[in-house]
Amino acid sequence: MARPHIEPYVELNQPFKKLDLNGFKGSEYKVLSLDVDTGACTLKVQFKNGFKRNPGLSYSDMELFVLEGRVKVGKETWGRGHYAFIPAGMAIGAMSSAQGAEVLLMFNDSEPSFYESDKNHQLALTQAHVSMNSYLDAPWTSGAIVQPAASNGCMIKLLHYDPLSEAITFLYTLTPEFMQDNISYHDCCEESYHIWGTSWMMQFGDLPTGGYFWRPPYINHGSFRSKRGCIAFGRTDSKIHNYFHFNPWSSQAENMARSAAHLYRQRPMMYDWVASDGHNHPHGPEDFEHAHYHDDAQIRHLHGHPPSPIKSK
Amino acid sequence: MARPHIEPYVELDTPYKKLDLNGFKGSEYKALSLDIDTGACTLKVQFNNGFKRKPGLSYSDMEIFVLEGRIKVGKEVWGRGHHAFVPAGMALGAMQSEPGAEVLLMFNDSEPSFYESDKNHQLALTAAFTSLNSYQDAPWAPATLANPSVASGCMLKVLRYDPITEACSFLYCMSPEYAQDNISYHDCAEESYHIWGTSWMMQFGDLPTGGYFWRPPWINHGAFRCERGTIAFGRTDSKLHNYFHFNPWSNPDENLHRAAAHLYRQRPTLFQWVATDGHNHPHGPDDFEYPHYHDDAQVRHLHGHTPNEIK
Amino acid sequence: MAKRVQDKKPKRSKSAMAWLEENIAEQKLRYKAIVKEMDELAPTRARWYKEFLEICQTRGTNVTGDMRRKIAKHEVPKKPKRKDRVVY
Repeated sequence: MARPHIEPYVELNQPFKKLDLNGFKGSEYKVLSLDVDTGACTLKVQFKNGFKRNPGLSYSDMELFVLEGRVKVGKETWGRGHYAFIPAGMAIGAMSSAQGAEVLLMFNDSEPSFYESDKNHQLALTQAHVSMNSYLDAPWTSGAIVQPAASNGCMIKLLHYDPLSEAITFLYTLTPEFMQDNISYHDCCEESYHIWGTSWMMQFGDLPTGGYFWRPPYINHGSFRSKRGCIAFGRTDSKIHNYFHFNPWSSQAENMARSAAHLYRQRPMMYDWVASDGHNHPHGPEDFEHAHYHDDAQIRHLHGHPPSPIKSK
Repeated sequence: MARPHIEPYVELDTPYKKLDLNGFKGSEYKALSLDIDTGACTLKVQFNNGFKRKPGLSYSDMEIFVLEGRIKVGKEVWGRGHHAFVPAGMALGAMQSEPGAEVLLMFNDSEPSFYESDKNHQLALTAAFTSLNSYQDAPWAPATLANPSVASGCMLKVLRYDPITEACSFLYCMSPEYAQDNISYHDCAEESYHIWGTSWMMQFGDLPTGGYFWRPPWINHGAFRCERGTIAFGRTDSKLHNYFHFNPWSNPDENLHRAAAHLYRQRPTLFQWVATDGHNHPHGPDDFEYPHYHDDAQVRHLHGHTPNEIK
Repeated sequence: MAKRVQDKKPKRSKSAMAWLEENIAEQKLRYKAIVKEMDELAPTRARWYKEFLEICQTRGTNVTGDMRRKIAKHEVPKKPKRKDRVVY
């Protein structure tokens, strides 16, 4: 069942726990969400004053967003608003934090892992590496990157875009007095952490600073309000399409059937092809542009064939 | 096989023929494309000076775009640039054309039909009726309503949008020196008639004034150029999504697989649901928002269950 | 299934059937003429493809809107052995 629906979850009053895993000693954590099949997770991590570790790599794609403080990583210094995407197998430099730091730390393929190394793994897809300060170096743009779109007043900074799954990582902001009077759901999972501010959704009420959700596909959320504005860190695990409607009582199964009905009548030949016997290939249809996309860890994860399943479950 | 791939077709040198069907006497036509299963068609029609007919209805959804001249329809006068969508069964007022007119005339469900009546059929979905002068009363908007989108310099006036299939009728224009360096294909059929101007596509060469195409799904078109600008009337039969790439040799089957691969990896849960045995419902999945969409003539047509098959 | 106006269409008249048959036949000829014309364009088109792939590697290919991406040499597609077709 991958990650359960965690929404809303406000972590501020939860205590930190020691993160006693190789490569993370000297840090503490809170789990925001955890994939029960693979160990993939989103953690809030506090690197304690004086935290240090050697150069090394993880066998999972990793994302990191700095909420407060500073971390030295190799020759870079990552401060408030820094975002990094580290592909599995890519070695990052020695880490240290003299004054400590609070970060969101995400492992997409399996549980947190660290192996000392100053060389990349030979299979590491290092081109996907991203490292930038999202507050300083990324522009706000209209939230209308998807159609139908969120109302004006919702802006985003795109931080990471996966061309295969169209999964995205982004900052978003809602203006003061933001409102959007519809109910939305998506084909993808959606995740958010409120860095600052409160927004309101009709199903879940207020989500304040420190509020978090991991929301599986086809779950109703909205209408939307924000009285004084907010800024948040968000992610999807595949393409986000806004299915808007106004039925507060529709179920996840009904929403999915409606999405399939959209496909049926708006891309009729595609629906007929996919629904034909024999087209439920375990590895998906062929793509002359990305001939080997079937090997991608995220794609395998999305279809229930993750590279690192938790066997003992 | 519905309508064949007609592209490019320049109709200007083809002679008109008499349109000897009930309700169209006194007019002439050229067929631009014709659905061989249903008779649905796009015609260029010339209403000759003095053309007249009584109020009446068709058993097919009908669209009309006035290229030149004027037609009186009931109390309205439709001149250059007028577009109307007339739902099946909706009675139109008496038609007459004093100076004559040239129009694009489209029947979406079956061959041209006309039955005298001054009342709507009891099943007519008249709320779908639109009638407006597209040159005067519709704004140009950027063509970014589909994403990924065409290059800037291509603008749209949306004239009709079907909320069920997302089929769209529109005017589009390209600026002089328009350039877009990719190859596109769609899930939908696409149609266009060049009102004025010449544009170029890498597969088909120049499409000049009077140029037309009906292009079935998944067929490569582009890169694109337009030296001096173009204005054209276009339609799709369902949702338009731009699948861009740069492989000039891919065929429709490979393009379809690639589109399905997008669905597989970008909407994984949806792909799996559709591909699961037993979900190839003849009438499509349930939709709590439009519980009766299965009855829609266009939806049935898109899935090969057309109401008016040519037996 | 609820009925729509289209389901109530009276049977096709003889003249409508004759009109359909005439125009279906003419469309077949039109289609053949288009295929011939497009086959004749093949040598010119081959040059256009070459120029296009050069542009994709220099100025870049449009990814969305005006955003362009230069494609790398190893990404350039290879012409398959089958005959190139543009009308289907």
